[in-house]
Amino acid sequence: MTATQPAVVDLSPGERFPDLELADHNAVRRRLGELAEGDPLVLNFFRGWWCPKEQAFFRGLVRLQDEMEVAYTRMVSVSIDEPVALSAFRAGLGARWTFLSDSGRTYVDALGLRETTDTLYRPYVPTTFVLRPDLTIHSSYNGYWFWGRPTLEDLRRDLRAVTRSLRPDWEVPR
Amino acid sequence: MTPPVTPPVAWCWLARVEERPVEAWAAAELRTRDGAAAGFLAVWPAGRKPTAGAVRADATVVDPSGEAASVSLVLVPRDRAPLFDDPAVSGAMRDVLAGPPPDAVSTFVRDSSHFAGAVTVRRNRREALRDDPFARIARAEVLDVGPGLFGRAPAVPGPVIQRYAGKPWPAAGF
Repeated sequence: MTATQPAVVDLSPGERFPDLELADHNAVRRRLGELAEGDPLVLNFFRGWWCPKEQAFFRGLVRLQDEMEVAYTRMVSVSIDEPVALSAFRAGLGARWTFLSDSGRTYVDALGLRETTDTLYRPYVPTTFVLRPDLTIHSSYNGYWFWGRPTLEDLRRDLRAVTRSLRPDWEVPR
Repeated sequence: MTPPVTPPVAWCWLARVEERPVEAWAAAELRTRDGAAAGFLAVWPAGRKPTAGAVRADATVVDPSGEAASVSLVLVPRDRAPLFDDPAVSGAMRDVLAGPPPDAVSTFVRDSSHFAGAVTVRRNRREALRDDPFARIARAEVLDVGPGLFGRAPAVPGPVIQRYAGKPWPAAGF
């Protein structure tokens, strides 16, 4: 997908999420498929470091981090913040996953994820996707209202389903 | 849309030796920070073990056309090697994910369950090598390594710290 494509991509479950290429929190270009590294991926778009709802949501994700780091599961967070702001936000949270910067709003419209009610910052509308390693969408959550976001239990349930479908040895080999 | 990257399943042999090996995949001279010769570091493709002291490393750190660099090299004797699941080892990997990423990093393994050491490669911020998290586990040597051995690997996505099937971290894939 390129920024000049006018059509909004279909982000329904079962569709393939575009393999975005953006700068990470260290200002190094990264591709989503590369960051998945063959594992299930939780991808969340957020407004920015300044939003109290995002701060509350991320504190939850950091609690889930200890489980994700032993469960072969990746996480990537995307906002319109500059890499240096993302890096500071990440460090302050104690997050150990990759944050991506779309400060140029390269994908926000093509993905249909612009928060149209914020005409000043033009951020991403809070949205969370659970993706398979090939970036096929398993589930998505519209977090415009806070309670639309996935709880940690929602994410555990989705990741269990994805991992079960991926691993031929999910049932203990006999 | 570009298809997602499928990470290669790759590891290689690595050893510190007195003489430059003739049949290595890549090798470079080591020098202490005050310029004294300190042997050679060499790598061989996965397969038959090339020398008794060789350990397995993530092959993505190797680039036979790579520039000279500085490294923090931790090689743990077999009889002092902690389990890879030791909290000290897990904590060091968490600190690698949280900190400014090096040009390349790989842990070492000899078997399926023990930590055999690590190499951290930097060309900028070389002073950061003194804070190598793996140096808390065993003695680290900060050395200059000549060209033709180490490349630049993308920062580890995180938050996963578990290894696949006894391979060195962060080598991905089953």
